[in-house]
Amino acid sequence: MDINHDAQEGLQLCGESVRIPEKSFKKLVEITFDIILGKKDETSFDASNTLDSVNPGTLKEAYYGLVTLVIEAVKTDSSLTDISSYLEECKWDSDRIEYLNKVFSGTRPDIQALLSSTRTVFPHIVDVDWRLDYYVKNKYLDKVNKPTYLISLKTEESNKNGYSDVEFSCSMEQLQDLVGKLKDACKSLEKASQM
Amino acid sequence: MEEVDNIIIHTLRQIGCNLNESVLSLKEFTTDNVIEATSTCLRVINDANQFSRTLPPSMSARFRLGTGLAQACQELGFNGVIGYQTFLYPTEGDIRTLFMFLVERLPKESAEAADEPMGGAILLNRRIASELSKILAGTWIPPFCKRSGICWSGKDGKTWHREGVKGVHPFRSSPLKYPKGLGDLTRKISKDAKQYYDSSAMPLITSQPPSRHNISDSILEANSLKVSSDMEWENEWNHSGLASGLTPEEYKAKKQERLLKKLSKNIQAEVQKANVESSRLNKQDFNEMIREISEQNVSAGHEHVGSRFTRSEKLQFTQDEEKELAAVAAMTENAGAKIDTEEEIQARRKEEIDAMQGRLTELTSRLEGLEIDMRKFTATVEQAQEQTEFLQRKNKEEEDAYKVRKRTADLLPDASNNIAKLETVVESSSTRLITLAKQWEEHRKPLIEQYREMKALNSTRLSEAQKKIEQIRNLREKMKETVEEVRNRDDLLKDLVTEYQNMVKDVNRSAYTKRILEIVANIKKQKNDIDKV
Repeated sequence: MDINHDAQEGLQLCGESVRIPEKSFKKLVEITFDIILGKKDETSFDASNTLDSVNPGTLKEAYYGLVTLVIEAVKTDSSLTDISSYLEECKWDSDRIEYLNKVFSGTRPDIQALLSSTRTVFPHIVDVDWRLDYYVKNKYLDKVNKPTYLISLKTEESNKNGYSDVEFSCSMEQLQDLVGKLKDACKSLEKASQM
Repeated sequence: MEEVDNIIIHTLRQIGCNLNESVLSLKEFTTDNVIEATSTCLRVINDANQFSRTLPPSMSARFRLGTGLAQACQELGFNGVIGYQTFLYPTEGDIRTLFMFLVERLPKESAEAADEPMGGAILLNRRIASELSKILAGTWIPPFCKRSGICWSGKDGKTWHREGVKGVHPFRSSPLKYPKGLGDLTRKISKDAKQYYDSSAMPLITSQPPSRHNISDSILEANSLKVSSDMEWENEWNHSGLASGLTPEEYKAKKQERLLKKLSKNIQAEVQKANVESSRLNKQDFNEMIREISEQNVSAGHEHVGSRFTRSEKLQFTQDEEKELAAVAAMTENAGAKIDTEEEIQARRKEEIDAMQGRLTELTSRLEGLEIDMRKFTATVEQAQEQTEFLQRKNKEEEDAYKVRKRTADLLPDASNNIAKLETVVESSSTRLITLAKQWEEHRKPLIEQYREMKALNSTRLSEAQKKIEQIRNLREKMKETVEEVRNRDDLLKDLVTEYQNMVKDVNRSAYTKRILEIVANIKKQKNDIDKV
């Protein structure tokens, strides 16, 4: 967990009971987590009376430090002991550390899930439609008699509502090949999970 | 013998023998078990030993397999009686000695690997595996039942995995502004900055990114940016900053100056190059234009054959001029005769423009001639001034010489007397000089001594400073090393703790200790026997 000096300074401010009294601190932590998780927005800072006693510039810097700490800690999956020792370095008292850890351990999975949404992805297959056609004859051949599968994969895309289609047709052998490959993939996934 | 059997069976299971759970001692081993266990052991010991693990149905094949196994065992150094019959018709004692031998021969790598601390890669793989198995064990949920592509599971609903791509967005960060330096009371912040921090003009950092999705991206980016730049600065300061003996601010200012100088030099060089090129280009491309411009303003054209900018400016200017002229012409035209056809008007305008143009060029050339004349005149004026100065100086010198000569001439009539007087004057002045020199010497001595002392002091101080800087650098390096070491140790500890947690608490430990104790007791007995003998 690497945190820059500016954010560290913000965290030190956050731990100073002269600058940020106990009550305001709890409120600040609460609001910070709510904003990160998108439950509230920044107007709750103005709405809260308990934060009025704090100088706005100091509050902004402390808030910056806190947000950076939380997001960085989730990114590096730092343990609570790591965070505690880091905060001790920032001269927090044990009550504040405990309070932050309590809130943090409760919301960590949610923030992890939030951070996991930053990624680039391929379309994701969620469903499949199929049709079996029987190919009887054509102009040149009187008797073809082959089955043809029409497969349509429904995919989910990040920036679209609803589903898009990936369509293709294949012969019986090709489909069997595909199914075999899929089975292989499943098997190797299972193997990978049993290490 | 039960413990020995336990150990053997445990080891065989570990290397991948398919032994039935109910098999508890070697007594229960069937021919199949024996063949499989032996061939597996041989394969683990040496990869070249490729024996079938199952008992072939035909009698001759069985015989061949048995002989092969026996031979391989003998090659490994097994001393006991061994043949195909050992495998095909196993007796408990035979196979026990055989397996004890084989188990001892098994490579110890696996044991050694367990002793080594597990690397990050292994831990990561394990975590991936556990995550995968968790996801595989979960039930499938239709996509429309998931909130932004995430499945929540577990007893308390606190474990999650991502399925599908809903709610996913690419990494996009934006620069962030935040207050700095409010925590350090010793550092002064300007009033304006403070006011800015306190006012609502500076938004909270989470409201700065354009989209709510990008808050975390921006914060992560800002943090790693700052961390890496800090690290860079630290490195530079350790390398060259400390040695320069300046304060950080001075060092930064100096570096900035140096960089700016370099930049401006480079830019100037490039501009010059570009000028040369563009002038060449312009000559080719805008030949016409050049002629036009040189007609308009010859002197200016000569002075800067250069930049495109000046050229375009000129072009615009002349165009404006033309427009104005045209407007004037049109006005007069309108006042004169309105009945003229368009063409006539145009022709007349053209004529007028030409005439005007001609006059203009004439005027400019005259102006130019006048300018040249003026320059000439100023040059001559300067020359004349210089000459007068020179003459004045000469005059003064000559006046001085004349005065001296006059004095000597005045003294000539009473020569002997005057010579004596002069001599006394010379003598007195020389004595005065000597006394002055003495006095000077008196003053000089202590001053020089003081100077030398100061110099010595200064040099010692300098060397001391250097030493201190060296010390500081050493300390910093040591600090870094220790920090690194601490981090490594921490990692190691973490790895070991997880490894310890993951380790199967071996049931067999008691068996091993019992065996060890037995062996110790045996040795004691043997020793006693030997002593008796």
